[in-house]
Amino acid sequence: MLRGAIAIFRRDFKKFTSNPFMLVMTLAMPIMYLLIFGNAIGGSITGIPIGIVQEKPFVHETPLYLAGLDQLEHFHTQPDKPALFHVQSFTDEQIAKNALADGEVMAYLVFPSDLEPGRTIRLYMDSSEFTVPALIQSGVTGSVAATGAKNPIEAVNVYGTIDYIQFFGVGVIVMAIFMTTMFGGGLALIRDREMGIIEGYFVTPVKRSSIILGTIGSGTVKAFFAGFIIFLVDIFIAGVIIRAPEDFILVLLVLFMTSIGVTSLVVSLASRFSSQQEYSSVIAFFSLLLFMTSGAFYPVLGMPSWLRWITVINPEFYAVQALRSIILRGQGINVIWLDLLALAIFSVGAIILGIITYRRTLE
Amino acid sequence: MGADDNIIRIEHISKIFRTASGSVTAVDDVSFNVRRGEIFGLLGPNGAGKSTLIRILTTLMKPNSGRAFLDIYEVTKDDEKVRGIIGVCPQNSTLDVELTAYDNLEFYGKLVNVDDSVLDERIWELLRMADLSDRAHSRVSTLSGGMRRKLEIVRAFLHRPLILFLDEPTIGLDPEARREVWQQISMLNTEHITIILTTHYMDEAEKLCQRIAFVDHGRLVSLDTPGNLKLAMPAGELIELGYDHFDDSLLAVIRAHHQVISVEKKEGIIQISAKNGSNLLPVLIAEFEKFGIIITSISIRSPSLEDVFLYLTGKKLDDMTSDIPVSRPGGPR
Repeated sequence: MLRGAIAIFRRDFKKFTSNPFMLVMTLAMPIMYLLIFGNAIGGSITGIPIGIVQEKPFVHETPLYLAGLDQLEHFHTQPDKPALFHVQSFTDEQIAKNALADGEVMAYLVFPSDLEPGRTIRLYMDSSEFTVPALIQSGVTGSVAATGAKNPIEAVNVYGTIDYIQFFGVGVIVMAIFMTTMFGGGLALIRDREMGIIEGYFVTPVKRSSIILGTIGSGTVKAFFAGFIIFLVDIFIAGVIIRAPEDFILVLLVLFMTSIGVTSLVVSLASRFSSQQEYSSVIAFFSLLLFMTSGAFYPVLGMPSWLRWITVINPEFYAVQALRSIILRGQGINVIWLDLLALAIFSVGAIILGIITYRRTLE
Repeated sequence: MGADDNIIRIEHISKIFRTASGSVTAVDDVSFNVRRGEIFGLLGPNGAGKSTLIRILTTLMKPNSGRAFLDIYEVTKDDEKVRGIIGVCPQNSTLDVELTAYDNLEFYGKLVNVDDSVLDERIWELLRMADLSDRAHSRVSTLSGGMRRKLEIVRAFLHRPLILFLDEPTIGLDPEARREVWQQISMLNTEHITIILTTHYMDEAEKLCQRIAFVDHGRLVSLDTPGNLKLAMPAGELIELGYDHFDDSLLAVIRAHHQVISVEKKEGIIQISAKNGSNLLPVLIAEFEKFGIIITSISIRSPSLEDVFLYLTGKKLDDMTSDIPVSRPGGPR
């Protein structure tokens, strides 16, 4: 019995140690989980951009306004961390309102004019982010209390009450696209190559360009549908609201751009790896890294700066951000154009890379 | 050109693979022609260069030197044209096992540009030919090895190619399935299609092929009809006569006969190789009677292609099946 057990043990071990790549990946995965999970989630959120403004008619800045500004700028949740807010002063309430609508600030605070110093302090918040509104509210309450003022505070969630499932659900749309393509599409492609199906194409008159177009095309449609189904789940089960037909079209546009980009990227990756095992370990690494840093789970504001650098080059981040802007905040092209540009650069780059590397395997 | 009798013309094809430890010549200056409408066998042991040659002819690989014409097209220059007139059934299955038999054929039909208006009818025709009509909508993963092979062969024939390449079509199949595949190949040949078959099963080549090329170490060793290849053997036929008691003076008498090439006495058996052995046998029996030796058994057999290959190359083909006894040749090594 032991002889057989030892033989099996040795066989497994020989295979394990003879593939240094797999060895490294096996060790790298848990370490990465630790670093990324540990830092991406539950990190202390600091530097929330907020605006403050004083009500009209404006004569000069009131003591309350100045004391409030000072307190807000120096409000710390923990003594050794950077300040909670990054405060921007506005001269006019309408400008502050626009800044919130365009996503420049995540909240703005309206102090009463010096004619009526006793009036309510109004707080308008972007309620579409997870945990951030609660932090803003407690930070603002604390700062105002520190000035000694007795003015009541009235908090307004400008996008209504948004549940975590809605916040998270939008991120899952993008996750669905990435996961379907990375695991389903990429593995299927490698399997086809292993089974000789792709080589079977070469003895038929079918053109190389047709093979590439067909492969990327089918992957894109599959990814698109995966994302679209989660989008429907978000609407009918999580209860997100699509306010206008343009928003619906914009969502489809983001889904499509993300799908074609990710599919091309996966086609390129799958072309580089000869075995399903190596591919899946690399892809498990990437999909987790991209998803964790996309902000789908937890606000990017809570991540350390080295992780935020990954966010900057993470296409999933732009896709999540664009979808949140459209679905949760009803914002249009004027706000999401930067996200769309980033997605376009990613998609075009991925398509070119995919065609080049895939074509090489077809030679 | 179209009236040319040779549908494939191979002119001094060579293919060299460079590896870390040097270079390997897989195909070494091979030239031959294949006639229109014949079943042509390419025989040799594993690693002889059969598959490399097929890969060059099917445009999957470019030769280092030499030219090859399929019909009027040159394989390296008109590769797209060549792909339009060939059907290929590779050694390793390229069927999609997750699709049904019908879907596999439909998919392939679109790749090889079969017109949609005739595709459905053609698929059913081929499924009937492969005896798979009742399994048309079964996934390929549920079909037996023999069924898959037959499906793959008819798939290669979907667009009525001029030339059909079958690379080891019966490898790994049981005898029953092999026979069915053979029937199918013979049937396809009646449609005036040229078939190139690679195999290392001698019985398969003998049964199916009109002409056979032996390849070994990348070189063409011999090319002829199976009958002529056997005639090339100086050994002739092998006669074995069993006995209980033997008189050694008979050996000299047998040796003296002009048809006899060699005689060997073994434990309870006399082995005689002779030209035209079937004529000689009655004479031998008469001689035995004259000496009063009782014959306990008689066997006579022609040399197999295996014997011929062994004679020509001095080595056996590996992976012989039980259908063919691995025999020592009577002739010189």
